Amino acid sequence: MENFLMENNRAEISQEDSSDRYKKLFAMLLDAIPSSVLLIDRDLRIVSASRNFLEKSQRSLSETVGFRLEDVFPPVIFEQMDIERCIRQVFEKNQPTGGERMTHRALGLPMRIYYYVILPFCWNGVVENAILLMEDITEQVHLSEEVRRIERHLASIVESTSDIILSTDLEGRILTWNTAAERLSGYALHEVKGRLCCGYFAKERQEEVMLFLHRLKTTESREISQVADWDLMTKEGDLIPISWVFSTMKDELTQTVGMVGVGRDLAERRKFEMQLLRSHKLDALGVMAGGIAHEIRNPLAVCSSAAQFLMENQIKPEFRKECAEKIQTGIQKASIIIENLLKFGRPSAQSDMTEINLISVLKETLTLIKNQSKIQKIKIATHFPKGPILIDGNIDLLQQVFMSLFLNAIQTMPNGGRLCVSTKKIDGEVRVHIKDTGYGISKMTIDKIFDPFFTTSAVGKGTGLGLSVCYSIVKQHLGSIEVESTEGKGSTFTVRFPILR
Amino acid sequence: MGNKGEKFLIVDDEPDMCWVLEHILEKNGFLTKKALNSSEALSLIESERFRLVFLDAKLPDIDGLELAKQIRKTDPDIRIIIVSGYFYKDDVVILKALEEGLIYGFIGKPFFHDEILETVKTASSL
Repeated sequence: MENFLMENNRAEISQEDSSDRYKKLFAMLLDAIPSSVLLIDRDLRIVSASRNFLEKSQRSLSETVGFRLEDVFPPVIFEQMDIERCIRQVFEKNQPTGGERMTHRALGLPMRIYYYVILPFCWNGVVENAILLMEDITEQVHLSEEVRRIERHLASIVESTSDIILSTDLEGRILTWNTAAERLSGYALHEVKGRLCCGYFAKERQEEVMLFLHRLKTTESREISQVADWDLMTKEGDLIPISWVFSTMKDELTQTVGMVGVGRDLAERRKFEMQLLRSHKLDALGVMAGGIAHEIRNPLAVCSSAAQFLMENQIKPEFRKECAEKIQTGIQKASIIIENLLKFGRPSAQSDMTEINLISVLKETLTLIKNQSKIQKIKIATHFPKGPILIDGNIDLLQQVFMSLFLNAIQTMPNGGRLCVSTKKIDGEVRVHIKDTGYGISKMTIDKIFDPFFTTSAVGKGTGLGLSVCYSIVKQHLGSIEVESTEGKGSTFTVRFPILR
Repeated sequence: MGNKGEKFLIVDDEPDMCWVLEHILEKNGFLTKKALNSSEALSLIESERFRLVFLDAKLPDIDGLELAKQIRKTDPDIRIIIVSGYFYKDDVVILKALEEGLIYGFIGKPFFHDEILETVKTASSL
């Protein structure tokens, strides 16, 4: 019995003991949870509050426990949330409620956003308490807003750019396809998504696209990229010239997961280049105009005078004939000059490359500067082979290049000099040397002469586009252009082109 | 009209232009000599006396106005008429040369024969 009592006593003690333990455990758990937990009774009085709640609301425990909920929560929130009704419902229905957000703004405290649920605590079939669990999600909300803002920002960059931006997986299946891609190709994202990207390139390029993707998959190196001018095939079946940069796309673990292609519409750039050419041409025409005016007025003056002689009375038949001949030759001379001018002034019909004879381009261009060089007392010497030198090129564009180089040379020799144009075949390429005896280019400026808008001409005399345009045309012909110069002695421009076999 | 028998020099690198001026002047009883470049012109001026020089503004070996200076150095009394298709009447360089007295007159190409004869008349009457 004693033993039993003892046992019983111990059981009682242990029961008391364990009750304390549970209380302590409950308090600890409550405080350990990084959420605000309120235990509320049927009178909507607070039974217990977690430390987190007290910290957040800046209240002490004594100001909280035993108080009614409406005294603890700011009235606005209390009413807005209709918390009283929610809690009563939990008591009545023995069912949790909530799962909603609430915005808590305590006086003088920064706004907080909570996610809350109300849970019933049911003992022996009676809902004794309601637990209001509030999680502070202010940071998460702010972070996710920030993430969304950044996402929107990035998306608007990708969508606003006039360049094509597309991405594919490792197999080349299209993942993303921006607005510019939709606009240029005529295909909407939903039409291309998941399809192989190589199908949207010109047929003869598809293999190269596949090859790049294959390299992407098999290359161990961290990053590869490729620059290429590949035509894009539109929905209508047209081809648009695009300049691409393809590079490796990685995930957050730096695993290669696909490729990103950024493409620029070359049609726009070519249009701009043509505009540059055109403006440069007008520039050259201006320089030529002086020489042309002089050259054309001479035969005009001869014609005019011969006609005036013919109008006089009593002229001998021989002189009459002589006058008529002078008129005839004068008109011919003038029309040749006009023809040359027209040839140069006509807009370049196309930028197509064909097999052309470089020598005849050089010769033809030289005849155009004959007038100007004569006026400036410049002797022109040429050294060309007997036969043609065939290159892949565009006559109009190359004439533009040589015209610029010749006119530049002439401009550096205001007091006369010598312009020597020669060609040399070396190792499958042809080198055109254009040598002048002008004032040369200083070491300071020689590096800049191919830059757009760089000019040493007086304001209004040159736009400075000449040599940069030359440079881009020569590049287009797979050639190169370089210059050697000694100040005060002259310069030699060397233009190289690959020869056609 | 100026005194018949007076001698004029024509300087132009274009033979047809010389032909034109020769005919206009000779028809009116003047004597002419022609030079196709600056050295020919200067040596003629050194050895002969000319009343007037018809000078092209652009010559293969020298600028017309530069040659005018050299001619005036050789013969300060000589009167120079620039005949040119390169400049026009109101060109700054031409106005300046006229003002400085370097040249006596300017005739733009193409011209009426009367312009030439009018200039000869006024230049000779002075």
